[in-house]
Amino acid sequence: MADPTAPAAGAQIPVTVLTGYLGAGKTTLLNRILTENHGRKYAVVINEFGELGVDNDLVVDSDEEVFEMNNGCICCTVRGDLIRIVGGLMKRRDKFDGIIIETTGLANPAPVAQTFFVDDGVKAKTRLDAIVTVVDAKHLPARLDDSHEAQDQIAFADVIVLNKTDLVTPEELDEVERRIRTINRFATIHRTQRAAVPIDQVLDRGAFDLSRILAMQPDFLTDDEHEHNDDVGSMSFEVERPIDPEKFNAWIGGLLADKGQDLLRTKGILAYANDNRRFAFQAVHMIADGDFIGPWKEGEERRSKIVFIGRNLNRPQLRRGFEACQAD
Amino acid sequence: MSGASLSPPKGPAFLVETRGVMRGLGAFVVAAAFDRSGDLAAFALGDGTLRLVEPAAASGAWRSAEAHDGAVLSLCPDHAPGRFLTGGDDGQFRRVRADGVAATLDKFGMKWVEHVACHAGAGGADKPVLACSVGKRVHLYDAEGAKLKTLEHPSTVTGLVFDAKGKRVAASHYNGATLWFVAAKTDSPRRLEWKGSHTGVAIHPAGDAVVTAMQENALHGWRLADGQHMRMSGYPSKTESMAFTRGGKWLATSGADAMVVWPFFGGGPMGKAPTELAGGDGVVCTRVAAHPQQEMVAGGFQDGLVVLAEIGSSRILPVVPPGNGPVTALAWDRTGTVLAVGTETGYAALIDFAKR
Repeated sequence: MADPTAPAAGAQIPVTVLTGYLGAGKTTLLNRILTENHGRKYAVVINEFGELGVDNDLVVDSDEEVFEMNNGCICCTVRGDLIRIVGGLMKRRDKFDGIIIETTGLANPAPVAQTFFVDDGVKAKTRLDAIVTVVDAKHLPARLDDSHEAQDQIAFADVIVLNKTDLVTPEELDEVERRIRTINRFATIHRTQRAAVPIDQVLDRGAFDLSRILAMQPDFLTDDEHEHNDDVGSMSFEVERPIDPEKFNAWIGGLLADKGQDLLRTKGILAYANDNRRFAFQAVHMIADGDFIGPWKEGEERRSKIVFIGRNLNRPQLRRGFEACQAD
Repeated sequence: MSGASLSPPKGPAFLVETRGVMRGLGAFVVAAAFDRSGDLAAFALGDGTLRLVEPAAASGAWRSAEAHDGAVLSLCPDHAPGRFLTGGDDGQFRRVRADGVAATLDKFGMKWVEHVACHAGAGGADKPVLACSVGKRVHLYDAEGAKLKTLEHPSTVTGLVFDAKGKRVAASHYNGATLWFVAAKTDSPRRLEWKGSHTGVAIHPAGDAVVTAMQENALHGWRLADGQHMRMSGYPSKTESMAFTRGGKWLATSGADAMVVWPFFGGGPMGKAPTELAGGDGVVCTRVAAHPQQEMVAGGFQDGLVVLAEIGSSRILPVVPPGNGPVTALAWDRTGTVLAVGTETGYAALIDFAKR
């Protein structure tokens, strides 16, 4: 747990989502997690096209069935199979400590993430701990050039396992990491061979619970550095004065409705005027969720931060919008 | 002023205290059911066991049958008395006898057997049919468990039910439901279409309509005579449980802070408001079970409360007090004399409604 003050988090089962292209080392990482002697038991949800056998007591085969919600939101797609599987697993929740969901190589991570926002039953019983993306250092550049999915998997990641580093030169490796950073400058990156990353760097990160955002340095880029092409980028903003909740809701609501298709992930920690609790906000495309996550610590600077990862991000517009949410 | 002493004020009397037998079973109660005779009750648990007891001897020992290596996901009475059918997350479709002996009817590897259903066969001419759903497929079997056929669906089956006569079987899935004739030589099902994720299904007892529960906290229905769509919405959460009353006059549903009962007569449910029973305290109803003979519905709530409500008069009879975990299983025996209750935290009860 990154944040012990988060409400009732202990009662919810942590869920780790494992994404990455076929051959990147996803199943190697999964088997490493399952066979390592950490004394914890995991329920594993794999897809029917899994490349290798998975050695675990509790393995669930999923069909990755995505459907569109009838909630007037065109990009709100949800994994119906996960709703059923989580419901089924909860019937024996004393038998495992966490759930790991492996997605197919070409999967768009958005429906998985959105499932944890949209379904009340899933929300009540589980919490999305982190999205972990495994990438192949040698082949990632080509993948990023030819597919949206590869970019999206990087964009959605909280943790990136940059695998097969032995297949590239140190210069190539730095270049791959630089490219990852242009898409998502907020994820934690681990360079690995054979997906050998300490398990505690992957599981139980509390990455999705947002408290890490506070620790992140804001970027000091100038307003003219925004891109109007189809590549995914990320930006963060910070303001000093407390936020007016009504102004923020009006602004973010409009922004997500308008640009939600381009905004892959939005996350923020807000200091509301006249409230000593931190408000955590996050969204996947248009689907948003927010909650208080415990008080600001003694002596902690009460700055509000927001992070956007997506396409066609307009820096001056986003910055001005966020700044205008400050209380008068 | 009278000097007579008054008796102390009474709290609400819950029937389970005087007419019930309670047990802590130690695992999530997934479902409860009675066998065809009504002489045997079964509770299906998240630990893979089935707990079996004769209601007439409920205060004695309850037997435990090892049904699945994992969780039991589904339970229904078999066609003959003294037996049940179960599906589990171990990929097995099984038959469990009153003595606790279980036999595998079919197995499906890692796939879950999420739903089971059985029609006992009406009269002498019709034969019993057993069914289970595994992923996108529904498998039908004869009384002995020999496979009759497999029915394919466009996406995973989320609900499975026979009609009252056992002639047809309905399955819910993405974008609607499919209605199959059990005995048809060529499988030309009737596709009932409506965009979205349908998560459960019920058939009107007279075959008038098929109703599904939806992910978007609403019900959808199709009137079978003319394909007319029915929308029943306004629920604060998902409907996980629904049941038609005996004659099909009412459809009782969970998902709101009351039992929501829709009229299926006088042109309804279209343009009609539902009746709300036992509501008002903000606690969500999680299970409903229509009484097999009277126009009454038992309802279980998120806080463990169970009540019996008479639809016409809205009269409420408290059955089980709150405090035992969300109600996850509710079933009547054949005659409507005994009610079985189970909760997420492993509480189970049998309540006897017989005249004394």
